[in-house]
Amino acid sequence: MDNYIELKDVSFAYDSPENGEPSAVIKRLNLTIKKGDFVAVLGHNGCGKSTLAKLCNAIEVPQSGKVYVDGIDTSDEDRLFDIRQKVGMVFQNPDNQIVATIVEDDVAFGPENLGVEPAEIRKRVDEALKRVSMYDFRFSEPHKLSGGQKQRVAIAGIIAMQPECIILDEPTAMLDPKGRQEVMDTVKMLNRDYGITVVFITHYMDEAVKANRVIVMDDGNIILDGTPKQVFGHHDILKRVGLDIPEASQLASLLRKDGLKIKKDILDVDELYEEIVGILEDKS
Amino acid sequence: MLSDITIGQYYKADSFVHRLDARTKIILTALFLVIIFMCKNFLSLALMFVLLVTSVLACKVPMKMFLKSVKPIIPIVIFTAVINVIYATGGTELVSFWKISITTKGLATAFFMAIRIICLIISSSILTYTTVPTALTDGIEKLFSPLKVLHVDVHTLAMMMTLALRFIPTLIEEINRITNAQKARGADFESGKLFERVKAMIPILIPLFVSAFNRAYELAFAMSCRCYRGGEGRTRMKQPKMKAADYLILLFFVLIIVGVILLNHFFGKIV
Repeated sequence: MDNYIELKDVSFAYDSPENGEPSAVIKRLNLTIKKGDFVAVLGHNGCGKSTLAKLCNAIEVPQSGKVYVDGIDTSDEDRLFDIRQKVGMVFQNPDNQIVATIVEDDVAFGPENLGVEPAEIRKRVDEALKRVSMYDFRFSEPHKLSGGQKQRVAIAGIIAMQPECIILDEPTAMLDPKGRQEVMDTVKMLNRDYGITVVFITHYMDEAVKANRVIVMDDGNIILDGTPKQVFGHHDILKRVGLDIPEASQLASLLRKDGLKIKKDILDVDELYEEIVGILEDKS
Repeated sequence: MLSDITIGQYYKADSFVHRLDARTKIILTALFLVIIFMCKNFLSLALMFVLLVTSVLACKVPMKMFLKSVKPIIPIVIFTAVINVIYATGGTELVSFWKISITTKGLATAFFMAIRIICLIISSSILTYTTVPTALTDGIEKLFSPLKVLHVDVHTLAMMMTLALRFIPTLIEEINRITNAQKARGADFESGKLFERVKAMIPILIPLFVSAFNRAYELAFAMSCRCYRGGEGRTRMKQPKMKAADYLILLFFVLIIVGVILLNHFFGKIV
């Protein structure tokens, strides 16, 4: 797989006129994200994960270091809109990213900005809405939809721009469990069936578990990076930076402490179930 | 209940008026307003009134919707009529007491003004009842696009209108949420004198403004992420098209103008 997003020795600080001294949010960070990958980014509030997202589609440009998207330098202002077309972004609050009063008009907003031909926009809009299973709602008014549905409309609005990568900044934080499931399924499907690179910023462990790669951030840098199994093995580090451990994993480690021979890298309930059943069968 | 709020005043129906291009309807409404003030005698006014009634019937919107839109302006109509009756001079004097004299001319002017104001409200209601808000803003953008020559940023104005329409229901929801939150903290919005009640609104308005600014900030981010860069080089998915019916009805209105001018000329001026 090729590198799609590359951050080289990136530092970034917001201007803070009140305090005078700008404090660094991202500190000498190096990261490469491969094409077609599904990466989850974890970290508590203020660790710099949202800033990381903004650096990846040229909303912010680093003060030092370089960010490359598909080989394009994000500080190259002439290519700004190329980058934003390639890397779509979905935000936390679905209400604040829907611009039109009708679902299909909102999905058309991105392609319209890109200057796509009307007939082609129509095609893309219908296709995008079908992909997120919102085609039946194309004439609806956004404020009449549920949170999960609104977020899927927002995702459709991004897909219609035909991006190669989608960054989702805590897209499920304001949703109920059903809405979270809808969004997660949609994102997984886009990654699996259409090969879209996904960067999924979240603080739900059970969502991060479903990624191919998990990155844990703390204080502007990456402290853990690997497959979910590798990362969630580090209970001590995760606890130190204020993150939860997936429930199944926590139960497994408690059982192991009690002397049961359970595998170390258990992540979800099904896996734990198999393991316990296996142990019970061995005993009997 | 909140989710029942429709954006704008659009009334969904399938009628000839609904199918007209938004631009046509905007022009027709503007023309109508101009003609109604051109009417100088009862015949031309009657012609306009017939035209208005025909349009109301053609748009298949229930009568009570129009009555609802006229109701709030009735005090204004009465006020204007009374002022006109009192101050108009000329014509034959009918009654006279103290310093006030009521004349035929005064009554005619009052009647004309009342009819004009009501026609004004009804004709603009036809426009908003039969046109989807987005089509309306798109229509305004297209119609006023020649103003670009004068460096008027028509696209941005239209975009602001669209966004305002989009956020009306969101902000109403927000007001309800804040009101409930403040009530839960013991705020009292129902009792006290007028001044106290107005003062009680402050704890609602401040959070509302803060949140509206935050929303605007996030929305701006989301829009630039979707490659928004103003009207330059932007295409539209829905391309409104002027059909034969649109041109015919415009022609028809031009004939009406000619009719009104002729009636004014040959049947004398009352007002």
